[in-house]
Amino acid sequence: MRQAAYFILALLLVLIILLLGLQVGSFESDAATIANAFLHYNADNTTHFAIIHLRLPRLLLALVVGASLAFCGYLMQAMVNNGLADPYLLGTASGASLGAVIVFFGFVPMTLAGIYMPPVFALAGAFIVTLVVVMLGYRKRQLIPAQLLLAGIAISSLGTAIVGLLTFLSDSEGKLKAVIFWSMGSFERASWDLLPYPATALLLALLLFAFYQKQLNILLLGAERAQALGVRVARTRWIILATISVVTGFAVATSGPIGFVGLIIPHVARGLMGTTGRWNLLFCAFIGGFFMLLCDLLSRLIYPPAGLPIGIITSFFGVPFFVYLLFRKNYNFRG
Amino acid sequence: MPDCLVQRCHCYTLKEKTKSYFRSLCLLCLFLVLLLAACSHEKKAGQSKIVLHDDLGREIRLSEPPKRVMALASSMTEMLFAVVDTANIVGRTQNDDYPAAALGKPVVNNYPVDYEQVLRLKPDIIFTIEGITPLDVAARLQELNIPVYYQKYEKVEDIFSGLEDIGRIMGREQQAQHLADSLREQVAVIRKRHQQEKDPQRVLAITWKDPIYVYGQNTIFTDKLHILGAENAVQEVFEQPYPALTREYILKLNPDVLLGDSPEVFEEKFFSLYPELRRIKAYQNKRLYEPTGNLLERPGPRVVESILELERFLYP
Repeated sequence: MRQAAYFILALLLVLIILLLGLQVGSFESDAATIANAFLHYNADNTTHFAIIHLRLPRLLLALVVGASLAFCGYLMQAMVNNGLADPYLLGTASGASLGAVIVFFGFVPMTLAGIYMPPVFALAGAFIVTLVVVMLGYRKRQLIPAQLLLAGIAISSLGTAIVGLLTFLSDSEGKLKAVIFWSMGSFERASWDLLPYPATALLLALLLFAFYQKQLNILLLGAERAQALGVRVARTRWIILATISVVTGFAVATSGPIGFVGLIIPHVARGLMGTTGRWNLLFCAFIGGFFMLLCDLLSRLIYPPAGLPIGIITSFFGVPFFVYLLFRKNYNFRG
Repeated sequence: MPDCLVQRCHCYTLKEKTKSYFRSLCLLCLFLVLLLAACSHEKKAGQSKIVLHDDLGREIRLSEPPKRVMALASSMTEMLFAVVDTANIVGRTQNDDYPAAALGKPVVNNYPVDYEQVLRLKPDIIFTIEGITPLDVAARLQELNIPVYYQKYEKVEDIFSGLEDIGRIMGREQQAQHLADSLREQVAVIRKRHQQEKDPQRVLAITWKDPIYVYGQNTIFTDKLHILGAENAVQEVFEQPYPALTREYILKLNPDVLLGDSPEVFEEKFFSLYPELRRIKAYQNKRLYEPTGNLLERPGPRVVESILELERFLYP
């Protein structure tokens, strides 16, 4: 019962913050203007245009990316059975950064066939690095979580070092700004064309794991016991891994590597819903999205018009909460 | 030898050793103190006769009129070449490409600063502008006995008085005065041409496309536009001279003219990325222009050229 209440509360909060977020921007817009923009959309009215084509996709992208990262964080923590895991452990973030930086520094043209290249290369970078990490974490046809973690850390560092090298060798301030801006995350480029990719990935993943939540919970008992209870551990791990790499890949490629959401939100979800709730994953995605929307709203209120980089805000608000969780007595950090 | 005696003997040598260590340590300290004293003495020996104050209010002391000079900013190199005897300019930064004579000078990396190369070239003074050279770099150069003189410009006129400053410091007053006056005259003529502009055009200049960075209100660009009877579309004053803007902000500005690239490049690299911005007037009326990069960016003696170029865009 309590869980259902939390669910409804989360849903309400998301709706409220969406409505609040729609009102913040350069054009003045009260609730009536927003209602008008939705109900009587006038293509010649630039305020309407800004609300529907700039603000709304931005908010939805923040929602989807927040949800994706929290969702993947939950999966990752369950798979490696460790509360310190986050979705970037597979090297997704550094791989994506590397891909984007390669474009920013002119090794590849910015636009090819009318398509803006940084997100494409970020996605490719994320997948390639993840593939390398998985190959290193794989032994005797089994994924070894500990080995996977170490491989992820090593390859991530390598990626970061290469990005650092390229940044250092860069010849213009503009390029540096672009890289720095990208590496702290931003929803500024959101559009209706971009949104479907991360949204589809997330929705499919949520649907898939509606069937796998039980296996996920059993997996928390440890590989041997899960095996004994009839869970096909190896297969489950592969599914989790593939899901994480795709969903995180799209999130990072569209918005940059935004930290802390994937680490903290799963703990919040478990803290509220219990370690083995039936709808934990869905709930986790919801509050991940809510948290990201909140951070985006704050960033734009604090530092208009461009907004502070979102990664800074998530860390600022995420860390105190994390410390609070650490000291709370009745919550332990078992994944 | 009885055991205790051996031990005592051992003790004795140990004591002796410590003593000798201590002695050499004392000597070393004495040496260092003397060296330090000598150094500071040497510093004092060069009595500073000339005291200057730069645009940031920093004090610069020189023992004699400077001869060898260089700049740590491309615009400043142009300023020096316009005023100072070319033979006295000892270096350039890796980005300097104007005037052609600059290309023949030895290169000094300006970010990060190649201190060793600066020392090798031994300038008596370095000129730079605020925002290009960090203050800690200037402090480090000062430690190496190379003073750094900062200039800071808010208006076009500040560039001209900057030229005069350089002339005064480098003993080329007449040359500088002459140049500054002629530039002032040219600006006055241009200003007169556009005194009567009724409906000032609102111009937005892009410096970077992703994220979108633009020339803010507190840049010389704004003054150049005023001279031309136009204004910077960005009226709000941000902390950074080149603020990042959102698409929505630019939609609201709705500039008449967009500067940054040729229409083709704008189409391919800007409007394909931000199709929402196709609504702005500058795009609708095809008023997209590409200023010569180092003319628009560099606050130097070619500022009049830059204004004339902008004039061609604004009043085709």
